[in-house]
Amino acid sequence: MAIRNVGRRKLRTTLTVLGIVVGVGMMLALLSIVSGMDVRVTQMVRALGGADITIYNATIPARGSQPFGGFGFTIQRTINLNIIQQIIQIPGVYAVSPQLSFMGYIENTRVTIHGIDPQTYNEVTSGLNIINGRMLSTEDSGKIVLGKTLMEALNITISGKVKVGTSTTDQQEFEVIGEFETGIMFQEYAAYITLKDAQKITGLENEATQILVKCEDPYMVNEVANTITSYIPGIRVTTPTAMVTQATQLLNTLTMFFATIGLIALVAGSFGVVNTMLMSVSERTREIGILKAIGAKSSDILKMFLAEAIIIGSLGGVIGVAVGGVLAYILPTFMPGIMGTASILGRTTIRGVRQVGSTQVFTPTLTPTNITICIGLGVLVGLIAGLYPAWRASRMKPVEALRHV
Amino acid sequence: MSKPIVETENLVKVYKHGKIEVHALRGITVKMPNGKIIGLVGPSGSGKTTLLNIIGGLDMPTKGKIYVDGIDLTKLSEKRLAEYRLNKIGFVFQFLNLIPVLTALENIEVPMILAKIPKEERRKRAIELLKMVGLEDRMNHKPDEMSGGEQQRVAIARALANNPSIVLADEPTGNVDTDTTIKIMEIIVKLNRSLGKTFIIATHDPIVKERCEKIYNIRDGKLVGEEA
Repeated sequence: MAIRNVGRRKLRTTLTVLGIVVGVGMMLALLSIVSGMDVRVTQMVRALGGADITIYNATIPARGSQPFGGFGFTIQRTINLNIIQQIIQIPGVYAVSPQLSFMGYIENTRVTIHGIDPQTYNEVTSGLNIINGRMLSTEDSGKIVLGKTLMEALNITISGKVKVGTSTTDQQEFEVIGEFETGIMFQEYAAYITLKDAQKITGLENEATQILVKCEDPYMVNEVANTITSYIPGIRVTTPTAMVTQATQLLNTLTMFFATIGLIALVAGSFGVVNTMLMSVSERTREIGILKAIGAKSSDILKMFLAEAIIIGSLGGVIGVAVGGVLAYILPTFMPGIMGTASILGRTTIRGVRQVGSTQVFTPTLTPTNITICIGLGVLVGLIAGLYPAWRASRMKPVEALRHV
Repeated sequence: MSKPIVETENLVKVYKHGKIEVHALRGITVKMPNGKIIGLVGPSGSGKTTLLNIIGGLDMPTKGKIYVDGIDLTKLSEKRLAEYRLNKIGFVFQFLNLIPVLTALENIEVPMILAKIPKEERRKRAIELLKMVGLEDRMNHKPDEMSGGEQQRVAIARALANNPSIVLADEPTGNVDTDTTIKIMEIIVKLNRSLGKTFIIATHDPIVKERCEKIYNIRDGKLVGEEA
């Protein structure tokens, strides 16, 4: 009966349901987009490999001087490895690994080459995700691990030979022993060799461009970072994982913000339900009188109208989820701002890479939890909005209701 | 004479419309016999609808006593009154008796749904009742697909759904033509004979009056005469 009554005024019901659809749809779309960004951030954390603190040289080179003894290749200022002994003694530091990153040439292609100390690198980070071949070990002089994208670009396979060098030094032959994947294209356009080989190629003995630090307690990262900067002069630190934590907090704020917008839309929709139900109650005054005359209790009338309101709410919830699901995929293309947020995250967290792919797409994530929440909200809105009209209907005096035509 | 089905004592009903008091009933004392077709006759505004509503437990008297089938209606709570209407009384109104979104059969089922009668049983009984009023072929029609007379017959069938003690009808023929009036009264007489139910009909239609076995004339809220 409730279902047929809902269908009685089709246009009005449709409009009312649309009010809920807008609210629920908006809510789901925004929640999915935010969840999508969340997944993206999580991917980045994984891609970062988990170094808690990265230390750089912060001294400004003297004007006009050639910082690297005449080498004309692109490299950051380096740090002398002697400071590792100092860093390792700082309380809270768990492990330390030097890394020498520079723009070099592989087969005349300009790529980022990272020189790492394989043993400590694996302690400090979660290591490279090797999909073919194997990871470097400390004795792997003359061996190289390439990113998936780079492998494809160079058309090279495992145990192939590549020529590696800088623009100013001679090319040396390296053997490809492994292929890694990060899921992020620009990160895969890179190569890893041992730190010693990197130092040899660049001529920077006992130097590194950055020092990666892992802390004992992930919640102590900022404190340890502060201790390092105050202890050692002339350096700069970044805390990628802490930045990701901040980004996550930002995301939470965004979620709250969007959820609030969705809720406001839902509240507006709920007024539509109240209005429709009140009109329906007043139109059906005589019907209520008849029902009471033939023995319906006030509670029966209350249940009947509440059921109608809940049906409207559920319809709105279900259709809203469908619309919201579609919107979640369409909206990001119209909202460069949010895309931008993701790109900024990419830019700030991954050092040494200037270019962030402009085609970077993040996928909204429809989680069952979000879908359930949104349908539930539709039902809840129907229930709450139906309470007052249903109560009014149930309170009608039968004799007065029957006088109504 | 057997025990009266309706017994009233100095029944008074005063409506307040703002500051104006309307005296609908001015002290009615009556004993209505069981199992008969009873007519409440009087011009509009005489108070016959008010009396019917009080008998049916839709309204409460301002003063006086009323017993229906031995039950003191003035002592019932709102919830008990609803149960009383559901089980003891069947109502037929002048027009717009039926729920527009439901078919004839479903309309007859409504009182039985409220009385929590199992689905199969109530469907069976609804079909039976439709046959009694001669509308089994209109079973799946909605009210707007039926004539006024047919709608009234469905309403009569619905009034009988929970096997009540009394069927109360307020101008049941007020909106139909003479032929239909005769038809409706034939059905009421037939049901009164076969089921032994008391029908109390408020009317000013001479055709209806003719069919009543007992008539109470009401004027200005007072009982002014009885005809057997």
